[in-house]
Amino acid sequence: MPSTTARLIAGGCAFAFALTTLLLGGCASMVPQTMALRTEWPAGLPLRSEIADVAFFPQVVLQCGPAALATVMVKAGVATTPDALAPMVFLPQREGSLQIDMLATPRRYGRVSYLLTTDSRAFTRLLIEVAAGNPVIVLQDLGVTGQSRWHYAVVVGYDYPAGMLYLRSGKSARLSLPFTMLEYTWKKSAYWAMVVMPPTAIPATADDTSYVESIHAMAHAAPRYPAPENGLVKVAYQAALERWPQSLAAAIGLANVYYDQGKLADAEGVLRDALARQPHSIIVLNNLAQTVSDLGRHDEALRLIDRATALAGVDGKFVEAVKQTRLLIQQRMQAN
Amino acid sequence: MQSIFKKLLCQILVIASIMMPFQTAQAGMIGAEQATSSTSAQAGRSDINNFLNRAETINQLQSMGIDPKAAKARVASMTNSEVNTLAGKINTLPAGADSGLVLLILVVFFIWYFAFNR
Repeated sequence: MPSTTARLIAGGCAFAFALTTLLLGGCASMVPQTMALRTEWPAGLPLRSEIADVAFFPQVVLQCGPAALATVMVKAGVATTPDALAPMVFLPQREGSLQIDMLATPRRYGRVSYLLTTDSRAFTRLLIEVAAGNPVIVLQDLGVTGQSRWHYAVVVGYDYPAGMLYLRSGKSARLSLPFTMLEYTWKKSAYWAMVVMPPTAIPATADDTSYVESIHAMAHAAPRYPAPENGLVKVAYQAALERWPQSLAAAIGLANVYYDQGKLADAEGVLRDALARQPHSIIVLNNLAQTVSDLGRHDEALRLIDRATALAGVDGKFVEAVKQTRLLIQQRMQAN
Repeated sequence: MQSIFKKLLCQILVIASIMMPFQTAQAGMIGAEQATSSTSAQAGRSDINNFLNRAETINQLQSMGIDPKAAKARVASMTNSEVNTLAGKINTLPAGADSGLVLLILVVFFIWYFAFNR
């Protein structure tokens, strides 16, 4: 009799041990980034952080997209509501909101949508953005039966010692979610996460190339909408150039905005700074030649465009554009 | 016969009206996007593809009950690569909608949460 009890206890222990091993082993592969954070907590990142002044819009049926978007857009300085955004974001027939519409809509308001980099450090980036005061929209899959149930929520804070993240989600103004649970549901969207920035600010984790591309995206969308939205494009390029003075794309973008506004002297100044940093940029040389020619200094423009011609080669990407600019300058010189 | 011409004309007009805003305002200035994009031959091909994808996406949004003006504005605020991703996949890409959390997840994770949660 005692032996049976002993065997039962031993069996129970073995079972519990196996279950724990399975659970822990399974967890490690199910939530790899949460596991990585245990040993690689980023230096300098606070253990607790919560953004205080984030609005909450309780979601009505199916409208988590517009609700999440309104939450972050209000933080980025847009006076809006989920109802106002729904016609731009929500797709009635899909009974939901697509990621691309989530990214596209803030641009109409002169705000920069930025998709966070989705790699093995996505969770770290999420925390860094939240600690920097930028609420992050995440796409979660809440499905359990194999069928996906996609859901947008906004991460507004975390407490690592407690193991909790805080979200505006659905009808909860401050949903507490364990790190493991957020990652498990978030992982299925390949760690899709976005922030919406006012044009004066830059996301904490942004790199210059992808962020300046996000500004280009806004620049393409914003001019379709009335001022002051289109004026914000200039501010966004200025902020990017201040943050990354070496960014060629930001300098060219800013100079083109000035040029469009007829502020040729400002455009020239920006392009000259860019040329001092990158003397072999064909785009800068071409655009500077055009600007200088517009200012009436055709001899100087011709010298610049000749430098561009030499660099453009015979079959390069900008050969045609450079040729056109040179032709224009020559025509102007002959006309004078 | 007449209706075929009408249809063709409409399609051309749709494409033309989409293309218009995407042409650069000045001939002389090279756009900032060019600083990071691919070679011109590829760019030329992908431009045409992109215009077609934009037209297709606008049509698809309209067929899903979005009014023409709103559909056009939606697509106009998307980047080329976003449009290329979306074209033909509006029905399959994830559409976020659900609220709250499914009970089963809660139960599973409740156990997990008490085992460890970070």
